[in-house]
Amino acid sequence: MGPLIQQGILSPEWDMIFAFIIGISFGFILEQAGFSTARKIVGVFYGYDMTVLRVFLTAVVTASVGLLYFNYLGWIDISLIYINPTFIWSAIIGGVLVGLGMIVGGYCPGTSFAAAAIGKIDGMVFIGGLFIGVFFYGETYDFLFKNLHDAGNLGPVTLYQILGISSGTLEFFFLIFAIFMFWMTIVITKAFSNRQFKY
Amino acid sequence: MDSRNTIKKRYYFITGILFLLGAILLVLPHRDNKKELSPEDLLLAIATQDRFYSPEDIAKLIISGDPSIQLVDVRSSEEFTAFSLPNAINIPLANLLDKDENGEYVWETFLNQDVKTNIIYSNGTVYANQAWMLTKRLNFKNNYVMEGGLNAFFENIMLAKKPLVSAPQKEIDLFNFRKAAAMYFGGGGSVSTVSSDSKPIEGTPVKTKKKEAKSGGGC
Repeated sequence: MGPLIQQGILSPEWDMIFAFIIGISFGFILEQAGFSTARKIVGVFYGYDMTVLRVFLTAVVTASVGLLYFNYLGWIDISLIYINPTFIWSAIIGGVLVGLGMIVGGYCPGTSFAAAAIGKIDGMVFIGGLFIGVFFYGETYDFLFKNLHDAGNLGPVTLYQILGISSGTLEFFFLIFAIFMFWMTIVITKAFSNRQFKY
Repeated sequence: MDSRNTIKKRYYFITGILFLLGAILLVLPHRDNKKELSPEDLLLAIATQDRFYSPEDIAKLIISGDPSIQLVDVRSSEEFTAFSLPNAINIPLANLLDKDENGEYVWETFLNQDVKTNIIYSNGTVYANQAWMLTKRLNFKNNYVMEGGLNAFFENIMLAKKPLVSAPQKEIDLFNFRKAAAMYFGGGGSVSTVSSDSKPIEGTPVKTKKKEAKSGGGC
């Protein structure tokens, strides 16, 4: 049956409508999960609040388990789902930079908008910085970032293809890892929440 | 303390469910949902005649050097070597569904893309139609059939019959075009030189570009 647009059940014009609905819901859920607070986001780094990790891990687990079961039941054709191509070097370097930015700024791009939407000034400042960064990147792309941007293109690979195992096997091990992480978050939070650098 | 215990209980419960879901995935067989065309849709596609290109249309496209068409010859390779239309590629009907070691269709890069329009031909229409039906069934895009095949191509173009003097202008124009086309393909009446000088040309597979990345997700 799905994906609805790729299978021609819905016309591509619905893309924007879905994007709008999903975007609004995503922002709402971010806000409800408490991600519009910088303290909560940097909490992962300092160890006193692991909500971010737990929420995102829950999202990944739900989506991946759901997709695999939907595929098995024939409700969705997983081979038609768009997979972002992996550019390994820009992914690593960009990932490190985004991580640093999250510790320093207290937000990631999505949550900064959620924060700005409920009137947080730091969220708005963060968005300002985001635009400056985008501008800088765009203006210097040709002579600074182009090589990095195009390097190490692995194409739309998936982890189970690289490892040469079935998607179900990978998902099983991922779930074991996720369960371990969930329990670890409890331990870590307990260990660090008593320390006195909460601010 | 009680509420703490219920929370812990809940965690154990969720852990159990997650583990169970994972374990089921571990033993579920892999399932490929690659969609084939449903019989109803196939019937509808067969009933409509919009898969056909007339020999004149094809002659026009070849003469104008249209880069957006790809002629696909589904006859045997001997027949193909003996004669083929300019720039055609040879995919013998018997090899159409060949798979490589990864289980992918060898010819899919040619037969399933949206850059070039494939026009399948054989001597008549039957084999070309069979090839077209196979591609249609596999939901491959952009495949068409030369109406009447090479036989019609020769009959209509190389051996075009002069219409009566009293025939409508349209028919006379068509005849003139056929005549001119026949000259392009090697002179009216003589049928042996259509592409006698050109060796069977290996086409280059059209790599279909993946759709452009939509704005990435993430938080």
